[in-house]
Amino acid sequence: MDNITSRHDPRFEVTMYKYMGVENSHKLDFYEQHGGYQTAKKALTTMQSVDIVNEVKASGLRGRGGAGFPMGVKWSFMPPVDGRQRFIVCNADESEPGSTKDRFVLEDDPHQLIEGMIIAGYAIQATLGVIYIRGEYHLGYTRLYDAINEARAKGYLGKNVLASNFDFDLILHRGAGAYICGEESALMNSFEGYRANPRLKPPFPAQAGVYGFPTSVNNVTSIASGVHIIAKGADWFKSMGTQDSSGFHHVQISGPAVRRGVYEVPMGITYREIIFDLAGGVTEPVKAFIPGGSSCPMFPFTDEYLDLTMEYGVVAKAGSMMGTGGIILIPEDKCIVDALANVVHFYAHESCGKCTPCREGVSTWLPKMYAKLLAGLGESGDLELLEDVSHNIRGRSFCPLADACIMPVQASIKHFRHEYEYIIEHGKSMYAKKSRWQE
Amino acid sequence: MKVKVNGIELELAPGTSAIDAVFAAGSDVPYFCSHEYMSPVGSCRMCLAKIGAPRKDRATGNWVLDEETGEPQIFWFPNPMATCTTAIMEGMVIETEAEEAVKAQRGMVEMTLINHPLDCPICDKGGACELQDRAYEYGEGISRFEFDKRHQEKHHQLSELITLDRERCIHCKRCIRFFEEVPGDEVLDFIERGGHTYIATVEEGLESNFTGNITDLCPVGALLDRTSRFKGRNWEYEHTITSSLDDASGSAIVLDSRTGRLERIKAELNTQVNKLWIDDSTRFGYEYVNSSERIKTPLIRKGDNLEAASWQEVSEFIADKLAKLAQKEAAIVLRADSTLEEGYAAKNLAKILETGQIDHYPRQLASVIPNNSASLNDLASSDAIFVIGDVSQNVPIVDLRIKDALKGVAPPEMFEHGVPIADLRLKERMIRKKEILTVAAPYNVDLMRHAGQAHIYEANSEEAIFKALTKIANGEDSSVAAMSNEQAEALVKRLNEANNAIIIYDGFSLASPAAAIAARNFANAVGAKEIILGQMANSYGLEAIQVLPSHERYGYAEIMQGSAKALIISELNPANNSQYAQNLKELELLVVHSIFENETTALADVVLPAKSGYEKQGTIVNLEGRLLEVNAAPIDAGQAQDFEFLAASIIAALGKEGKEDLASLAHKAIRKQFGVDSKKLDPEGDLKPLKPRANNKAKLHIQSTNIGNALIVPTMLRLEYIDKNPHLLAERGAAKLTMNSIDADANGLKNAEIVSLDVAGIKRSFSVQIKDSVPAGLWLIPALPEQAIGLLELDRASLKKELEPA
Amino acid sequence: MMDTKIQAFFADKQDLLSEILERYPDYGQRSAVMPLLRAVQDAERHVSELRIKEIADILGISATAVKGVMSFYSTYHEQPVGKYHIQICSTLSCSLAGSDEMYDYLANELDLVNGETDKDGQFSLQKVECLGSCTTAPVLQINDDYYENVGKKRCKHLVDSMRENKLEKPWRERKGDHEGAEKAKPLQKTALKGVS
Ligand SMILES: Cc1cc2nc3c(=O)[nH]c(=O)nc-3n(C[C@H](O)[C@H](O)[C@H](O)COP(=O)(O)O)c2cc1C
Ligand code: SF4
Ligand code: SF4
Ligand code: FES
Ligand code: FES
Repeated sequence: MDNITSRHDPRFEVTMYKYMGVENSHKLDFYEQHGGYQTAKKALTTMQSVDIVNEVKASGLRGRGGAGFPMGVKWSFMPPVDGRQRFIVCNADESEPGSTKDRFVLEDDPHQLIEGMIIAGYAIQATLGVIYIRGEYHLGYTRLYDAINEARAKGYLGKNVLASNFDFDLILHRGAGAYICGEESALMNSFEGYRANPRLKPPFPAQAGVYGFPTSVNNVTSIASGVHIIAKGADWFKSMGTQDSSGFHHVQISGPAVRRGVYEVPMGITYREIIFDLAGGVTEPVKAFIPGGSSCPMFPFTDEYLDLTMEYGVVAKAGSMMGTGGIILIPEDKCIVDALANVVHFYAHESCGKCTPCREGVSTWLPKMYAKLLAGLGESGDLELLEDVSHNIRGRSFCPLADACIMPVQASIKHFRHEYEYIIEHGKSMYAKKSRWQE
Repeated sequence: MKVKVNGIELELAPGTSAIDAVFAAGSDVPYFCSHEYMSPVGSCRMCLAKIGAPRKDRATGNWVLDEETGEPQIFWFPNPMATCTTAIMEGMVIETEAEEAVKAQRGMVEMTLINHPLDCPICDKGGACELQDRAYEYGEGISRFEFDKRHQEKHHQLSELITLDRERCIHCKRCIRFFEEVPGDEVLDFIERGGHTYIATVEEGLESNFTGNITDLCPVGALLDRTSRFKGRNWEYEHTITSSLDDASGSAIVLDSRTGRLERIKAELNTQVNKLWIDDSTRFGYEYVNSSERIKTPLIRKGDNLEAASWQEVSEFIADKLAKLAQKEAAIVLRADSTLEEGYAAKNLAKILETGQIDHYPRQLASVIPNNSASLNDLASSDAIFVIGDVSQNVPIVDLRIKDALKGVAPPEMFEHGVPIADLRLKERMIRKKEILTVAAPYNVDLMRHAGQAHIYEANSEEAIFKALTKIANGEDSSVAAMSNEQAEALVKRLNEANNAIIIYDGFSLASPAAAIAARNFANAVGAKEIILGQMANSYGLEAIQVLPSHERYGYAEIMQGSAKALIISELNPANNSQYAQNLKELELLVVHSIFENETTALADVVLPAKSGYEKQGTIVNLEGRLLEVNAAPIDAGQAQDFEFLAASIIAALGKEGKEDLASLAHKAIRKQFGVDSKKLDPEGDLKPLKPRANNKAKLHIQSTNIGNALIVPTMLRLEYIDKNPHLLAERGAAKLTMNSIDADANGLKNAEIVSLDVAGIKRSFSVQIKDSVPAGLWLIPALPEQAIGLLELDRASLKKELEPA
Repeated sequence: MMDTKIQAFFADKQDLLSEILERYPDYGQRSAVMPLLRAVQDAERHVSELRIKEIADILGISATAVKGVMSFYSTYHEQPVGKYHIQICSTLSCSLAGSDEMYDYLANELDLVNGETDKDGQFSLQKVECLGSCTTAPVLQINDDYYENVGKKRCKHLVDSMRENKLEKPWRERKGDHEGAEKAKPLQKTALKGVS
């Protein structure tokens, strides 16, 4: 298997990922030599904050953290400036299984993110930015930590940034292993030194976010996209992708692909093109693919789904979500019950425990049901029970984490019901366990 | 705002939660995590309903209409919604009985129960358990969960007062939210996450004055009161709603008694006073009433011994003795938590005995009745509060109501179904407006943690502080001890500009009439209302009805120093003071009305068994001037009686009965004085603040001691009973002597060392507590009922070490 | 009150302490709880009750609150972990790349079970959830470092080098974009039946 982790569609010019993997790309010198901080300078010295918001709005950029909410629109929800502190928060908690696109920016191009934060901060008139990075990203943390210090020393951060009269500084905050911290309100609780349970909404972050102040939370590649939108204009961004989904995104392919990795691609590309042209096809027969990280319902690996274009609307209509763009291929002879047991285990482990359906359903009951099935102890009625309990959880929880577990479960039953039935009837998986550990 | 609940239309205020709309419509929906007076968090997911609302067309601003009916079209939320966290909208439709709502509720009951043990038959909450009830009403009856339940610790002692059964916890977070939101003490939290989440503390005990409330609000039997553990079943208890005599708030409580014993106290709702909270002394400080050491019959002295007798016998004996006295030779003293009825009885008896030697104690020189009094609900909506003294120990509920004010959320409007179940204005971890609170005290008091400004001043400088602040308020130059000029000016400005400024002071200021007058003048100068913290439950009432000496020669201290020949004293133990004991021995008649034997009963000619505050019927006036009912629980107290009965018996024995009995006299007198019918008081009490008694000019010249090396400080614990309240004693330990480490070092004292000390004649024992927040040179001594708060000079040479710390 | 026998962790690290506290605004000092926990753990491989109290005192919050936060996360440890804390990603992409077998191998090789530390304090073995490196599965995190694409040989090599206390830093898995757009192969047929 090749190890290519940064690729792009040859038909497009790569921008955000241009310097991934290049020696020393994380240093300020390198960044400056390649035009770094020029866009921030342009933004802060020649544009009004509202112009930036409008430009981003016009670009149609939708949040890359999962939910796909237009970033410019989110920014425009910030209340009028009233002298209170405001915050821009970068969500770098990247923990959705299948996702690894933010990590590259954090490790290999941290200055790009810092520049994005300066622009975003200026756009919403926030003088403080927070980058919340997941605890395990040690390399990303150290590189970003150093980069922030470099930027501060050079006057890109601090008082009067780039002689623009705009003050801006960054707080780098490190998580410690909790997927739920990716949920924006849990992230804020975690940042503030509380247990990372999601908060009640409303109030939304724009009304009362970090420390109760107006806040916008955006994903790493959303923020970094801002740099290129401001540098090249909304029209350039819109020239890629489709009406519904403009610009580029990063797909991450894992599972049995020939060239697993992260690819910068224009929106509107088909899954077939991604999997076969970019990733070079599959190394073994595949029966399903998850289009956007493990919480997105899987699609059968058939023409109908492979030919879907990667657009928020299209994928949603087909019954799943774009999510983070983390594509996971599921081999033909991987027992689907086993695969889902793994997914359920993840969400069970990551449940924050705040609400009943997730704590008792996702975190307690479901893993036991799957363990029972995998142990060959399934009985008739178990599948119906699993479906009914899933139904009782879905849409009832406090935050979307429980649904993030239930949706893939339901999709797996929908598409691979026979495998569940088989394991219940025969007391063993339809497919024997197979070693996939490479030499 | 119009909403429709299960087909019923109703009009409700904007901001109302959907769950309150449901209850307002007379419908029901189950809930576990919501709780009156705490933030709705939406975590149990029990209160689900099908909810929809009409929508306005963006372009036209008109309602989108249903094509068939022509009515605004209802857009349903795709999923059942938690009603507790949903605010109503114009035209909202809420259906709790729709098929999907019912299915959702059933599913949630099932999930709530999967890890809940089936030990209702042995659970103290059984019969009064929200989960049990709701599971029965809304559940399926069978569980499809076939796996092992979560096994966790079943008897985890959180403190001496509270035990936790972790298996029973349903993670509603009420207990944790309570600590953060109500007293602001984060002593309990969830540990771990997901299905492993459990409740714990890593503090030593639960450091808060209000811990017991979590046993009331826990919807299941996870948090239980250790004083009542494994005693009765809920349906066996007799529930008596009454007002607590533990402090001057008159907090509402329920007495749970069974077979003549008081087995538990719980908080009762009084929206005007304590809401649903009580402090730990009020809750756990009751065990003494069940003590086998109680005096249960009248006793009469036969030589060296006290022997049992009947009320009849002893009354005749007393009457005989009293009849031989001249005018003004008899004295009567009540404890300051006696009821109004007892107070009137004492006054009537004094009248018959033709004596002006009558008093209540503890009582200070200045009046506890404010000039311009604030209610506790005023306090909760105040925008500028100045506290001078130690509120938290004096009347803990006042501490909580101050914390209400810091949230800036005024007391809610009531619904027909009561307090809003989900008050959407309340949030978890609200930002507290500390800046509205200034606290000053002679030492570091707990409330200072929550104050924008905190000042420690030299003991006994209250008068000077108030005078200086008044000057500033009047635009004159002045400087205030312990405050910078800016701070003093900012304080005055804030109080001046506030809509609802309140000044709170306590015994430290009342110890000197001049200080009290200065406080009143300052309140006037800045237009603030006042709250004065009397030392005991009926300090206000007994002063109001003038259970007071006719002349300053006849006050408590004077009586104890020998101004009378006969003394009838209720619930006080003056003989614990060796000087007083000497005088008491000289009396021709000493009648002691008491629950327990003590130094004073030992000197008595007659001892009469007294009722505890849970056994008597009557009326008190709390610190707001609110008349509150005191009700008796069926507790077996032998022949114990209240003071009214005592007085009536003596009067009868004297042959001086009038046309009316004492009870109807008191009833009339209360009506005359307060304008209310004491037999028909509002369950939340009747607020009838009075004007303060005129200050006796002569008294103004009495200087309270200006010097002193020790301060009698308020304590929320009733130290006179602490030895017989084993759980409270175990949790709170013996009375503390608190001092700076400099003083400790100088006297060779260690933390927790047991010492004895002569405190102005009373030999007391303490455990040493070293706190550097106490000013050097000043020792803090918690008050007994026989000791009014204030400065005194201590003979430090009397200090003796009794026991090394363990 | 601090136990005076063991020195407070930050007693001789005032610079570190103030650097951490200064990251956050005055009104947000509580935010420092996570970096403080991290600082202690980085030095002591776990955070003891004593340190929890110390952090609580620094921040003026209750020890319970600190414990509540600490226990929420999966990477703070109450018991010391070994010198080599081997964390095996077990989530889907890694599992599809053989992480289960890798775990079995390591468990067998080191004679440890999930969550266990050997008695010399050399190795700890722990299954963890997705590390955000799914495209280079299977992944091992040893202490702070990610070892990606860990095949059988490499895994054995890593164990050997840890045993000899000669663990190298991981090599960079990343290759630049210049490596490969051109190499993209033309569209292939899927191996699934019925798919054209
Ligand atoms: C359970 C859960 C986990 C999430 N994890 C992440 C994450 O790791 N990274 C992220 O950017 N957004 C995550 N999100 C989405 C965020 O809540 C938020 O929508 C996002 O950060 C906004 O940024 P965007 O608009 O740029 O996408 C998560 C949401 C949920 C409900
Ligand atoms: S669904 Fe509930 S328990 Fe699960 S993470 Fe969200 S709030 Fe926490
Ligand atoms: S102990 Fe009781 S009050 Fe606290 S979370 Fe558990 S069930 Fe709720
Ligand atoms: S979610 Fe618990 S009461 Fe509404
Ligand atoms: S599944 Fe192992 S790194 Fe994502």
